[in-house]
Amino acid sequence: MGELALLRCVRAEKIKIRHSMVWLFFLIVPVLPAIMGTGNYMMNREVLQSEWYSLWTQHTLFYSNFFYGPLIGIYCSYLWRLEHLNYNWNHCMTAPVPVECIFLPKLVQVFKMTFLTQLWTWFLYFLCGKYAGLPGLPPINMLFWLIRGACGGMAAASLQLVLSMKIRSFALPVGIGLAGSIGGLLLSNGGFGLFWPYSLMMLGMNANKYDDVLSSQLVQFALSCAVFVSLFSYMGIRMLKRQDVKAA
Amino acid sequence: METMIETKGLTKRYGQRLSVSRLELSVPTGCVYGFLGPNGAGKSTTMKMILGLVKPTEGRVKVLGAEMNSRNRLAILKNTGSLIESPAYYGHLSGKENLQIICTLKNIPEKEIGHVLAVVRLENQQHKKVSHYSLGMKQRLGLACALLGRPKLLLLDEPTNGLDPAGIQEIRELIISLPEQYGMTVLVSSHLLGEIDQMADQVGIIDQGKLIFQDRLEALHEHSRKKIYIRTMNQGLAEQILSEKGIVYETSEEGLLLPEMPDSRIAGCVSRLVSGGVGVIRVEERQKNLEEIFLGLTGNRSSL
Repeated sequence: MGELALLRCVRAEKIKIRHSMVWLFFLIVPVLPAIMGTGNYMMNREVLQSEWYSLWTQHTLFYSNFFYGPLIGIYCSYLWRLEHLNYNWNHCMTAPVPVECIFLPKLVQVFKMTFLTQLWTWFLYFLCGKYAGLPGLPPINMLFWLIRGACGGMAAASLQLVLSMKIRSFALPVGIGLAGSIGGLLLSNGGFGLFWPYSLMMLGMNANKYDDVLSSQLVQFALSCAVFVSLFSYMGIRMLKRQDVKAA
Repeated sequence: METMIETKGLTKRYGQRLSVSRLELSVPTGCVYGFLGPNGAGKSTTMKMILGLVKPTEGRVKVLGAEMNSRNRLAILKNTGSLIESPAYYGHLSGKENLQIICTLKNIPEKEIGHVLAVVRLENQQHKKVSHYSLGMKQRLGLACALLGRPKLLLLDEPTNGLDPAGIQEIRELIISLPEQYGMTVLVSSHLLGEIDQMADQVGIIDQGKLIFQDRLEALHEHSRKKIYIRTMNQGLAEQILSEKGIVYETSEEGLLLPEMPDSRIAGCVSRLVSGGVGVIRVEERQKNLEEIFLGLTGNRSSL
C-alpha cells in the first residue's frame, strides 16, 4: 500500500510540472557556465593544454561553484511554490496518502531534474569542445564524473527541498543555495568537502581538477551522499508530520 | 442516529489567543450540518482539526468512529472530501488536469472526472487554465475535487463564497441533495444565517471559539416562538395589574412582552387593564427572526 501510494504521488508530481516555467531555467542556466568556461578556456589555451580535460576544468569551475547549487535551489523552490500558492497545502495534506508520500515524490522529481541537468551539461560541454576545435569525443571519465556529480547534487537537493518547504519565498532558498555553493568551494579546498552537502557535487564532478580527487575516497563519498539525503529527508518528513498546515 | 463527527473538549490555542475552546461537536450521519458563526469565530480552525491539518492543543476528534491520529489518518481521509478556506488549485494546469491529480492521489478511476464536472457544470471549461477561471468557477472546481471518490463525509468551508446568486442557489440545492443521493454527510460552514437556514437539518453555532448552540434546525426556530406585545399609557400600573393577575411578563423598551397564550386570556388581560384605568394602545403578536435569536445567543456581541 505504502509503495503504491508513493508511485501514485510520483505520478501526480509529474502532472503538476506540466506546462511549467521551470524547464526554461533548466535549459538556460547551464548555458551560462558553458559560455563562461569555454571563453576562459579559449583565452588561456597556452596554459590549458590538456584539451578535453582542460575544457572540463574551466566549464565545471563555473558550473559547479556558482550555478549548480542555485539551479537546484530554483527546482526545489518551484516544486514547493506549487503548494505554497492557492491553498494547495490543504490539498496535499488531506490527500489519503502517508505524509512521506508528500515529501519523497518531490525528492524523486528533483533527482530526475538534477540528473537531466547533468546530461544537458554534458551535451553543452561536447558542443563547446567541438566549437573550440577539440578532436574526437570527450573522455568517458567525464560521464562517470557527471553521474557522481548528480549523486552529490542529491545531497544539496534534499537540503534545498527542506529549505524551500519551510521558506515561502522563492528567492531566499536560491540565495542560500548560492552561499552554500561558495562556502562549499572553500570547504572542499580545505579538505572538509565530504562534510558539507554543497561540496559533494563539486567533488563528484571533479570540478576544476585534472586528477580524480575521489579516487581513494569513493566509498566515503557515497556514504556521505546517502547520509545527507537520509538526514534531510527525515527532517522534512518529520516537520510535515508535526507542524500545523498553514495554507496561506 | 450514528455520529459521523464527534469532538470532545476540542481546543486550539495560538499563543495567548484561544481560537477554539472546549468544543463538543456532534454531527449525525446523513445530515447537512450547518456550522454557523461570524468571521474569525473558529470555524475553519475546527474544520482543519477535524481533517488533521491542525493539531488540537487539547481534546480529540472522532470521525466515522475512529479517533483522528496518525494511525487512523489515512482511513479517515479516504472517506472524506473537503474544501477548506478557499478552493485549492494549480493555476497553470487545466481544470481537468487538476482533477486528474486528485484522482491519482485518491486512487480512483479518471472516468469519475466527467461525472463531477457535470455535477458542478464545468464541462465546457475543463480544458481552460484554472488561473483564467473566475472565483465562482474556482469554487465549483474545489467542490468537484471534494466530490471525487464519493466520500462519506464532506467538509465545506463557506462553499458559496464568490458565487453569483444563481450559482449560490445551485450549490445550495446540490448540497441538500447529497445525503439522499449519495448517502453523504455534509458539514458546511457559513457566516450567513439565512444560508444555513435553507440548507441544514442540524445547526451548530460557534462564537469566539465556543459552541453556543447545537441542535436540530427546528429547535433553533423554537427559540423564535411568538410573544404578545402590549403597549399602554401607564406601564407601571399595567405591570402591577398583570402581576396581581399572576401573569409572567418581560418588559421591553416601550411595552410589555407576554408569553403566547389563548386569545381568551389575552382578551381577559386587556379588559382587566382597561377596567383598571390603563389605556391600551397596541396589542401585537411578535416573533423573533433568526438574526435576533443569534444576537440573543451571543449576548449581542457579534452579528452575522
